[in-house]
Amino acid sequence: MRGGALPPALLFAALGMALAFAPRRIIAPSLILALAAAIAASFLRVATTWEDPIFLGCWISMVGAAALVHLPGGPRSVWVLLLALDCGLWAGAVIAAAGTRLDLAVAAPALLVCIPGAWLVATGRGIVVKVAASWLIAIGILAGGLQFAPVTPGYKPDHMD
Amino acid sequence: MLAMVSVGLWGAFLGRPLIVALPVIFPTVMVVGAGLAMAGVPAPPTEIGIAFSVLLLGAAIALAWRAPIWAASLIVGVFALFHGYAHGKELPSAADPVGYAVGFVLATGMLHVCGIAIGLINNRPGGVVLTRIMGGGVATAGLFFLWLALR
Repeated sequence: MRGGALPPALLFAALGMALAFAPRRIIAPSLILALAAAIAASFLRVATTWEDPIFLGCWISMVGAAALVHLPGGPRSVWVLLLALDCGLWAGAVIAAAGTRLDLAVAAPALLVCIPGAWLVATGRGIVVKVAASWLIAIGILAGGLQFAPVTPGYKPDHMD
Repeated sequence: MLAMVSVGLWGAFLGRPLIVALPVIFPTVMVVGAGLAMAGVPAPPTEIGIAFSVLLLGAAIALAWRAPIWAASLIVGVFALFHGYAHGKELPSAADPVGYAVGFVLATGMLHVCGIAIGLINNRPGGVVLTRIMGGGVATAGLFFLWLALR
């Protein structure tokens, strides 16, 4: 079991944190773009063999989005839009591979992390968002790295099943 | 758990930039430790390392050791390796590894924040003494854990 709402929620939370450092005018269009991309990608038909690469893409995007908060001066508008598109597509693909569209509805509110995040940044407490983003980076590396570990992950059947 | 709270408490004691750096360094290096465990790299007995981390972090607070940035980062980083290794051993067998990873990284982070919050009493009269007494308590617990691990 590794699908459901948690992976897209984490990805959306990372995007929300990156948006907290983005120019204000780009936040709403980015949210809409991410959601639209996620909904569109959730209709994809994904073969079981594509599950691992899709999850890896999700974790790489999450690490990238969370790392963007450390960019001096915050990310540029065009990068933010591309990131929103990327995160939306991977979130939708993960849903298509191992989730339901209800999971996407559950995960979507994580995007709203950008609201308290932007407030923290505006009031000079952006470091709180940076610390939280570093935790997301840690989670992303762990979840992505597991695919390369020389063991059978707990979510896959092994000889005991 | 005591080690995680102690990291935050020591960070609060040391002030900026370590108050922020230590809660970032610990989970990040913990991931490295978890990665080593998942890759099957052998490590020294983790129980001893964890017990030693509780002892040393508690002692650092009790003795009000104002370690330089590099030393504090190194100490916390080395201990984070042991904690990460212990979690990483269990991670692959979890039915929901993502949930497991989220749980242990966020729990670690929140325990650091609790330590920092407790450390805010340093700003009050007599607060530093109280913090040092707490550090002494943590060090004593660490000594007990070490004795259990070596027994």
